[in-house]
Order: sequence, then C-alpha cells, then structure tokens
Amino acid sequence: MNRKTFAKFSRKIKFGMNIPFKVFKKPKFSDAVTSDLFPIRNDENWSTEFELLNLPGLIQGNITKNHQTVFIFFNEKGLIIGQEIIEISGTGRKTINIKDLLSGDLKDAKTFAVFHKQDSSAVDLGESFMAERGYTGYKFNNITTKGYVHGNLDAVSYSKNSIEKLGNFGFQRKIYRVQHLLTGPAEYDFIFTNPTNCKKIKIRPNLESNGKKIKLKPISIASLGCDSFTVTIEPNEIAQISFKSHLYLGRPVVFRKTDNSFDVFHG
Amino acid sequence: MFFPLMKTPDLEGFLDLIYEAPNNWENRIRKTIYMHLIWSENSHWRTRLVAVMKKGDIFRLNTKVLDSNIIQNNLVLAYPSLSHLPEKISTLPTEKTWFAEVPAWRNTSGFYNSFAQVSYQADVEPLPSKASLMTFHPFIQFSEIENRLVVLNATKSPELTETKIQIYNSSEMKLIAEEKVVTNSLTTIYLDKYEFQPTDLPIFYCPKMAGIPFGLGISKDSKMLSMEHTHPPASLVLHGDRRAIQGKIKKNWISKMEPGAHE
Repeated sequence: MNRKTFAKFSRKIKFGMNIPFKVFKKPKFSDAVTSDLFPIRNDENWSTEFELLNLPGLIQGNITKNHQTVFIFFNEKGLIIGQEIIEISGTGRKTINIKDLLSGDLKDAKTFAVFHKQDSSAVDLGESFMAERGYTGYKFNNITTKGYVHGNLDAVSYSKNSIEKLGNFGFQRKIYRVQHLLTGPAEYDFIFTNPTNCKKIKIRPNLESNGKKIKLKPISIASLGCDSFTVTIEPNEIAQISFKSHLYLGRPVVFRKTDNSFDVFHG
Repeated sequence: MFFPLMKTPDLEGFLDLIYEAPNNWENRIRKTIYMHLIWSENSHWRTRLVAVMKKGDIFRLNTKVLDSNIIQNNLVLAYPSLSHLPEKISTLPTEKTWFAEVPAWRNTSGFYNSFAQVSYQADVEPLPSKASLMTFHPFIQFSEIENRLVVLNATKSPELTETKIQIYNSSEMKLIAEEKVVTNSLTTIYLDKYEFQPTDLPIFYCPKMAGIPFGLGISKDSKMLSMEHTHPPASLVLHGDRRAIQGKIKKNWISKMEPGAHE
C-alpha cells in the first residue's frame, strides 16, 4: 500500500469510528426545503435582521415573480411558538427586521428558520434540496452598521407541514475548537443551537488563558433549542476556547463586543 | 491549506493562527512546522520563513509590520510546512500539513483600524485557473457607511493576470460596470458609486477568474467594520449534484446578460 492510499484508508477508518453517519442527514421527503436555525438577538442592546432573497428565482435566473416563505420561530427550549408568511415581491432583496415580528406569542423567540415555498415551474433540482443558509445582520446599541454572518449549520428541513431535524450526534464526545484567539478587552458570546433529535445536548466549555484552565458552567440545550456562553477577556489577555459535546459539529455563532463596535462570525 | 493575510485601503489586515486541530479526532499532527509566508512576484512565488511552531503555539501577524513589497498584491498566504521551502517556487505547495474537514482547519483573518476589527474564519484552497465567479451580494448597507467588494484569488501558478468583473442588478441584468480584478491578489472595489437601492441584489460575474467575494462595510466614523463572504450559487442547494445545479444557475443568469457582455 503506498503512502497516499494508506492516508486515504486511515481517514476512512477515522471517519467510520468517529462520525459513522453524515454530519447532517438528508431530508426524508424529496420535496423538503432546508434551513439553518438563525439565532435572534432582541433586547435593549441588540436587534436582528434577515436578508430575504428569492431562492427559487435565483435558481431560475428570474426574480421578478412573487415568492412566499415561511418563517418559523422557536423558543429557547426548541418549541415552535409561531410562524409568519413573508412574501418577496419582484425585488432582489427584502430586509426583514425580526424585531417587528416579535410581538405576542413570538416575544420569546430565540431562533428562526426560513423555508422557501417550492415553485413547480422551477429548475429541476434532481436529488438536491433548496437550502436557506443565508445572511443574518445584527445591530448593537446605537451603532448603525450591521455585522453579518451566514448560516453555519444545515439544521432543519420542512415538508408536509412538519419539521425534520437534520443534525447528527454520536456516543463519543467530540471537541470543537474555535479557531480564533480571544483577545481583550472584549466580551464574547458563543451561541449554540441543537439541530439533532437528542432531547438534551450538554456542551462543556474549556477556556484556557495564559496557560491556566478556567472552569465554566456547562449548558444543556433541548432539541431545536438555543443557549449561549459569555466570556470576558481582560486587556492584554489572550485566550482560547473549545467545547466538548456529543454533537458531530458543535459550531457556535460568535460575537465579539468591545466598547463601540462588535464582530460576528461563525466559529 | 493556506491562510490569508489581506490588505485593503485605509485598513490593516491581520491573521491569527493556532497550532491546535479544530477537533480531537481527525488530524493529530504533533510535528514541528515551519510557517512560511508566500506571495506572488508574477514569474514565481516568493517565500519567507516567519516562525517555527510546535503544537500549542500561536502565531499572529499584521500587515503594518510587513515590508511593502511583500504585501504589494494586498494578499499574502501563510503556509505551515513540514520543511523549509526554497526562496522561490513555481507553484503553491500541495501538501496539506494542517487539514481537517469537520470542521475545516481554519484561522482568523480580517481587518482592523484604531477603533475596531472584523474577521472571518478563513482557509484558502488554490482556485482553478480556468473558472468563473458568480455571486449574489446582499451586504450593501445604507446608513453612514462605505460599501466595498473585496475579491480574493489564489491559484497554484503565480501569474498576476488582470481581468474584469462585471456588475449587474439582478432585477434588470443590464451591465452596470466592469471593474479590474487581479489573480493571486486581493482586489478592492468601491460600490457606493453604483447607487444600489435597499431592494436591489447586485450580481457580480467574472467570466475568467474564480474568487472568494466579501462584502466589507466601514462606517463613516471608522468605528465599526463589517465583513462577510458570499457563497457560490451551488450553496442554494444541498445534496445531489450541486455542481450541475450551479452550472444551470450560471447558465440561466448568463443567458439574461446583454449580448457580448458575458464573453
């Protein structure tokens, strides 16, 4: 066996032992559409917007037709607490201010998914599924510039009026290291969702600063739920963080806040 | 696998690297590595050894401390190598020293000024030299901000080749403008002069060069920076033959472009 073949073989064995199934499942129904679970930040400091695009139109090369989408909202326990039908009418882009939708039952929403209505005249997608992995914009305090982040998990699909969870998890716990040096002075928020069927996923953080390990309290996230960690990094401090969980891909959305600005990116 | 250090006018670029794999099962490399910077001098790639790293080490660099000749293309690639590289090489190295898939082994790359920083989780695989770029761009903002498109291109061969990127509005598909882009460089394009409106979705199309496109926003008071990359059309779908669907999407839009414009 030459070196290349051996490396390929050894990779296959590693994957077989560690993630025997796909990181994200294929939806059961061929007419399903998929979406990320997009975190909502909505309080006195934060607001959330979503850049809604006409996905079937973009696939067809014609965005002039009206197009309907369903926004489904979840609370922190992963329960569906409401939905909104939102139409994009012949324009390329519609910026949805999520705050405007969060009244009544929806005021406790922590995440949302966006499902595009299939258009029967659309391009034949074969065995593919239309996927909303789009762009959420966040505003902080009185800063008028938005920070954008794209979806980072193909979390859920929607077909025949029901949601299917697409994330996978395994018996062995896995470490996910955020490939970012935490630098101060700043406050970091790490927002996690649980896109799996597992009723509760425990996430154990491991913060290392100047060679010292700092204990942080783990969190447990219900299926389709959402929770977060906050870490303060002092001036001149440099730290690293990793998370251990049963998720195949325990990837957070990361916010780095300073006095007058912020940065947001997927971990 | 390469990690980009980028520069754009009025902002400095930075990169932070951690010699720790992104997960605990895929790539358990422990060997000493030689971190090189690689940049194009058109006829060849130039390299410089900048750090010897052991597992657990970190490496930080910004464009402010680099000689101007190194960052003249506004793009330098950091490459972790198991050995010293020659000073001049004809193609980018192919050995993947740091490599993982779930997730990809990345670093933090971005821009900063005296008030703010902005970043993304970065990794660069050399792009094919015969490929095109088409992307939909929803990042233009409208309040006291300067909007830019930045395009990163790196190919195996070092040539700095100039070509054009075309700018369209998806609702009309009339060619609005063409701007210059260069291979193995980071190109900055200023977008506010095109007066896109909040309901517009610009399309950028480059028939002769692939690239990673970013929306970069700089608030007029310089206190806030915003950056995110867009995706190729294949990302509108999951599973199946995404490449074939990307081909169809591109074909659908190209057929609507003004005759001759897309050549």
